[in-house]
Amino acid sequence: MGLRWYHFAMWAGFIALMYAMPELVSKGTLRTFIFANFLAVFAISWDVLSGRTGYISFGHPFLIGIGAYTTAILTKRFDVAIEISIPIAVVVTMIASTLFILPALRIRGSYFALVTLAFMELIYQLVQVIRPDLTGGTRGMSGIQTLTRGAVNGYYMSLSLMLAVAISMWLLMRTRVGTALSAIGMSEDSVLGSGLSTTRLKLFAFLTGAFVAGLGGAFYVHYLGSIAPRALFDINFVFTIIVAALIGGSSTIIGPMVGAFFLTYLLEYLRPYLPGAERYFIYGGIALLLYMYQPKGIYHIVMQAWERFKPGKSA
Amino acid sequence: MTQIIIQGLLLSGLYALIAMGFTLIFSIGRVLNLAYGAYLLIGGYVYFYFAQMMGMPKLVGVLLAVIVGAAMGLAKYRMIVKPLKGDHVAIEISTLILAIVLQSGVILAFGDSSKILLPIIPGVERLAGATIPYSNLLAAIVSWAILISLYFFVNKTHTGRAMQAVSMDAKGAAISGIDSDRINMITWGISGALGALAGVFFASYTQLTPSMWVAPLIISVAIVIVGGIGSIIGTLIVAHIIGFMEIIVTAMIAPELRGVFTMVLIIGVLVIRPQGLFGREEL
Amino acid sequence: MSHPLEITNLVKRFGGLTATDDVSFHIEQGQSVGLIGPNGAGKTTIFSQIMGELRQNSGTIRLYGEDIGDLSTPARIRRGVSRTYQVPRPFGDMSVVENIRVGLMPDSIWKMITQGPDRDREIELALSVGFSENDLNRRPDELSMGDLRKLEMARTMATGPSVMLLDEVFAGLTKGEISQIGELIQQMRRDGMTFLIVSHDLGALEPLIDRAIAINYGSKIAEGAYADVISDPNVRSSYLGVA
Repeated sequence: MGLRWYHFAMWAGFIALMYAMPELVSKGTLRTFIFANFLAVFAISWDVLSGRTGYISFGHPFLIGIGAYTTAILTKRFDVAIEISIPIAVVVTMIASTLFILPALRIRGSYFALVTLAFMELIYQLVQVIRPDLTGGTRGMSGIQTLTRGAVNGYYMSLSLMLAVAISMWLLMRTRVGTALSAIGMSEDSVLGSGLSTTRLKLFAFLTGAFVAGLGGAFYVHYLGSIAPRALFDINFVFTIIVAALIGGSSTIIGPMVGAFFLTYLLEYLRPYLPGAERYFIYGGIALLLYMYQPKGIYHIVMQAWERFKPGKSA
Repeated sequence: MTQIIIQGLLLSGLYALIAMGFTLIFSIGRVLNLAYGAYLLIGGYVYFYFAQMMGMPKLVGVLLAVIVGAAMGLAKYRMIVKPLKGDHVAIEISTLILAIVLQSGVILAFGDSSKILLPIIPGVERLAGATIPYSNLLAAIVSWAILISLYFFVNKTHTGRAMQAVSMDAKGAAISGIDSDRINMITWGISGALGALAGVFFASYTQLTPSMWVAPLIISVAIVIVGGIGSIIGTLIVAHIIGFMEIIVTAMIAPELRGVFTMVLIIGVLVIRPQGLFGREEL
Repeated sequence: MSHPLEITNLVKRFGGLTATDDVSFHIEQGQSVGLIGPNGAGKTTIFSQIMGELRQNSGTIRLYGEDIGDLSTPARIRRGVSRTYQVPRPFGDMSVVENIRVGLMPDSIWKMITQGPDRDREIELALSVGFSENDLNRRPDELSMGDLRKLEMARTMATGPSVMLLDEVFAGLTKGEISQIGELIQQMRRDGMTFLIVSHDLGALEPLIDRAIAINYGSKIAEGAYADVISDPNVRSSYLGVA
């Protein structure tokens, strides 16, 4: 996999810093970090599914929501233990993601994005109508069993999840399969012409993305203790996930993490000035400018700067 | 029964109007303009600001909404779509971001709560037990008038035919001396104007809220996908299929399921017949 | 005795247009055949059908005796046939070696994950088509048209074909590059590769082929030794555009 000493050093430094965070910052800041951790998980998941293959999903909350609802219903309505319900939720999410593959076999680009958006709207409406005794209907559910109490524990839980996801996806995407998935995004025909079954690769990307989304969704609902369809299946949520992945740097693992923390912080920073949803005005404006300036994201900007100023490099 | 037919016709006319501006852009630039819904949003609020808050004549309000919509369309083409040079993924994502920015801009200016638009023409007509607000009737009539004139514009005028040429083969059109940049500008302008106008009617049909752009966007998408790209007739037919389907589901099954069938229709058509029911086979 | 590639009564229609009209030919083991004809004659359409990118309306395509006419493109490539494209389609954000890496990958996700890339083979392929050590980490947007064609060759060779279809490999190349690619093809012929080559550059094509097949309007109009085919009156008139 071409691992070098500095890879270990960077991860070790990052992990140590992150685990020390509760000693360094206030509880309020920690709660922001918790959200950033979950957002990073969702953004990594989106990037595995869409960022690499170029099959842009505008319906990512569909997957997250299926994971979240499955475990919420199982634990609250059927008294299933969390240790069992979360794996079930992940499996259900992965099965649901195979619905994405149907359109992805026949259509590309814009059309695929639209179907995923339709999937999200569909589940939003279905959740409210079909068996509201299970899903809680429009109001959603509350009083769902939580895994942790207090900000510090919540932080450790979300951080561990995020690191586990980030490191395993980082390792996976460093293998040739990561190269193959990125190749699909660049020229699907040439991947086919290289003798690789693109259908199988796309299915793999969708299942892996769904695995992470389902896992993230399930842990998220057991952190919040509640679930509300309007907040979950929301275009603003889609926006936040995609922008986190893209602003940070698509087709990388560090990128979506950077993007998630950058955006969460931007939102928090704006809170005193603009307390409500109008924060998205400046937030979105900055995202748009950054994206138009460098569609490959912050990671790429930093790498370019690094290449330019790297000591001992001429030209 | 009469009630269903009348309601269905009114809603379908509105949907056809909403989808028309979207289909124009989609067929010319093959660009998925996710900020299309934002034209409706801005159109509705511009009308609200001038006609209701400032107390200007309603017609002036509508006119200003249309002008602002057209200006937005042009600005978006110049500032986002053109610099990104046909990178579809980038255009989709930046238009999505733009839509969110505009939505929050509206919240910043007008607040989060929903507003009721006063009907453009007050009063209702009763016909065979059905209540028809004049506003809805007007929306349907206007949308039919616009659809018919758009059909003639695209098929009979020089500019319209140039638009068709660009939509079929941009390079070929350029070789034949068509200024595709100008055609694109015109199309984006018309699309913005139509969207804003549809927004005024849509807002008076439902209500004015900062998130009112999502539902019409999805309906436009559904109509365009099911109808096929670049087909005005297809758009019209599918607007009626979806409009009637929603009214029938609302009246006979359950109002909550209204949108579900639309989504199932989109997904089904895309999977089974991706080129749409009436469109060109080209994906 | 089955031939590496054998096409029988191949027909492909697009609406009213017959792009491939009852074409039959075969290539013997280790032979190199030139496919010539004017623009729009249907050469690339035949390639696309052999690779499964287009489905024939009727007729059979056999690879070493096996009917591959209903297989997917990757399945055909696994059986040993591979092609290059007139317009190279590299992976834009990948270096030369990474592009070749994709061609070398096995069609198994498990093997992609568990086995690392074969760097020696990647470099060997890159150097064999004429890249220098300095080019290995270049990206497609830094490469000339000639380099892009070389990259396309290398990626196609990476799939391990025993039959290679080359579509306009010389278009846009400099004299030096043409002789480089020509030399590479000669080397591969000596190693036993079977070729079907489309080229407009007949001068460059001639020394690389054992015989030629000419097509026009989708039909085969001549087949045989290059000199005979090129002096055939039908072929001459098809190139001149007179009936």
